[in-house]
Amino acid sequence: MSDIILDVQNLSMHYETLEGNVLAVKDVTFNVKSGESFGLVGESGCGKTSVAMTLLQLQPENSVISEGSIKLDGKELIGLSENELRKVRWDSISIVFQGAMNAWNPVIKIGEQIREALREHYPENSKQTNIDKINQLFKMVGLDESTANRFPHELSGGMKQRAVIALALSCDPKIIIADEPTTALDVVIQDQILNEIKKVQELLGLSLIYISHDIAVIAEMTDKIAVMYAGSIVEIGPTSEVFNSPKHSYTKALLDSTPSIKGEKKKLKSLDGEPPSLINKIEGCSFAPRCPNRNISCKPERDMKLIEVGHDHFVDSCSLGENYE
Amino acid sequence: MLRYIVNRFIQMVVVFFLFLIISYLLFDAIPGNAFQNLLLNPSLPPYAYEETIALYGLDQPLSVRLQKYIVNFFKGDLGYSYIQFPKTAIELIAERLPRTLMLFSVVNILAFYTGFFVGKILAWRRGSKSETWITITSVFSYTVFYPWFALLMLWFFGLRMGWVPIGKFLTPSKWYDSPFDSDVVFLEMIKYMVIFSVLYFVITLLTKEIESLNLRRNIRLGSFFALLFISNFYWNTGQLSEMRFYAGDIAYHTILPVLTVTIVAFAGTALLTRTTMMEVLKDDYILTARAKGLSQKRIRDRHAARTALLPVVTSFIFTIVTIIDGSVLTETIFSWPGMGQLILESVLREDIPVAMASFSFIGVFALIAHFLADVSYAFLDPRIRIKSQG
Repeated sequence: MSDIILDVQNLSMHYETLEGNVLAVKDVTFNVKSGESFGLVGESGCGKTSVAMTLLQLQPENSVISEGSIKLDGKELIGLSENELRKVRWDSISIVFQGAMNAWNPVIKIGEQIREALREHYPENSKQTNIDKINQLFKMVGLDESTANRFPHELSGGMKQRAVIALALSCDPKIIIADEPTTALDVVIQDQILNEIKKVQELLGLSLIYISHDIAVIAEMTDKIAVMYAGSIVEIGPTSEVFNSPKHSYTKALLDSTPSIKGEKKKLKSLDGEPPSLINKIEGCSFAPRCPNRNISCKPERDMKLIEVGHDHFVDSCSLGENYE
Repeated sequence: MLRYIVNRFIQMVVVFFLFLIISYLLFDAIPGNAFQNLLLNPSLPPYAYEETIALYGLDQPLSVRLQKYIVNFFKGDLGYSYIQFPKTAIELIAERLPRTLMLFSVVNILAFYTGFFVGKILAWRRGSKSETWITITSVFSYTVFYPWFALLMLWFFGLRMGWVPIGKFLTPSKWYDSPFDSDVVFLEMIKYMVIFSVLYFVITLLTKEIESLNLRRNIRLGSFFALLFISNFYWNTGQLSEMRFYAGDIAYHTILPVLTVTIVAFAGTALLTRTTMMEVLKDDYILTARAKGLSQKRIRDRHAARTALLPVVTSFIFTIVTIIDGSVLTETIFSWPGMGQLILESVLREDIPVAMASFSFIGVFALIAHFLADVSYAFLDPRIRIKSQG
């Protein structure tokens, strides 16, 4: 349980655009232990998907990783050539993408698309071995064996997403990144898929990085979460602790905007404004313009820095205000 | 699928029927009496004139003539040529068709593959310098005034460099004592090409199930060269060993027309492939394919190009049809006595039966091409396959 399988240190990435550099990921540090579920939460455009893409180095061509390191099982991923990366992809880290609907090539059969990945990473396998493997995966995610001979358009949304999970598991990865895997599905199917992911993860002892804007799902799925805002992590810690005693104003605001089944009825609070544009560097606290708890003791001009407030629980120094120092 | 094919076939017959009637009426509307040409033909026996008139009801009113023509057409009698009297229209076409077919089947295959290949590379290397230049060249060859370009090619390669013969499809001095008719040689060449492609296609099908991609590719490549090697023996057997020399002469004459038409015809396919593939490259499954760790080449060929193929095949099949009438230009410029020249001659000299026969042949060809286009959609895109079953 304790060995760290993915270690991300000071990762920064920006997109080069005509208007200037978009700093999508700023100084992100976190690690994932083997068998652990790690959640990344934040509103749209805060850099969650950029982090996921950077882990696999699948980001668009105009992006630049300016600094930091990604160590997978002790092996540095940044600076690897495309061919070396190809071996890492899917074999060590696989990903379940946002829209399962479009994750399949419409003109190739599902089974063939999975076998393609198997062929790439296990070239010595016979065809029968691969077929057996796929049948076994389908059984695990609750799909019929005949699905392998179907085309993507013949499956329902939920089936496609199950098949995507089977695809993600096909090369026995150590980590699966689930990038909002349930956004395009209805609530009932969402729940089924989440249970499926959880079941499979426990069964195979995988690590999971779960990315979502849905804080309720994150709470259910993960052991540890990181809250992202404007490209940086503002609070990171064990899920229960972050939920029970959120320290950062943004985390508090996020939690306040989600209804709770238990406890007293509260009016949901929404946060005014929108995340800042990430073009060019933001000096000091990026959340300051929207922060509902700004007071005199707050020092928005201070650079953001994570401070440990509890066991494994770090929070951005800005929101600690006068309690800090 | 079968019901769909039968339905389409019935439609084809109806459309062809209408096509036949309309073209007959159009030719009938030409002023003057085209049939008089027959009278001027010196090789015509006196009784034949009267008999031909009686046979095809040429002195009857339009409705009767049309009826007679259509009945005769479906019996396989397309009438005698007015100009080259003892020959029937079908004989003339049978003589010319192999020449055109050989030239244009080679051109089409070449143009499609180069076009598709270039287009796919262009889309893949988007934004690079080579992409810009090749795109500009393609646009140029797509829009160039074709007769001018063909003459330029003739002048440069034929006259200036003297590498290839100018015009004609054989060297008369080599053929005067030839034991073979050129048509026989043409047919043999076409037969060889068909056998070769069918064998290669069968090999492709047989190797489809091999799991290792490298092995699959090597076997296909190896068998291609093996086929080339075996064809060496094929052309050494019996009569073919003498025919080789003449076939070689014809092949030598096809180089320039093939090159010219390919340069002009490939560009459309290339530009279309480029556009559709650039759309496809934005799709999510390309990202999935990259995440799976597939090689760049595999993503390009199997995922992006394969999906982009559909509109390209559509447009290509329609250009096949236009290429047959486009052959009028090519064959005139390169003095290639094929269908194109036959159409031109017969229309200019009002040789109505031959013109009608040629046009209805083009009609059949167009209908078959469209039919093939529809069927090939079903093979290329499984989403259409489902709909056509219902």
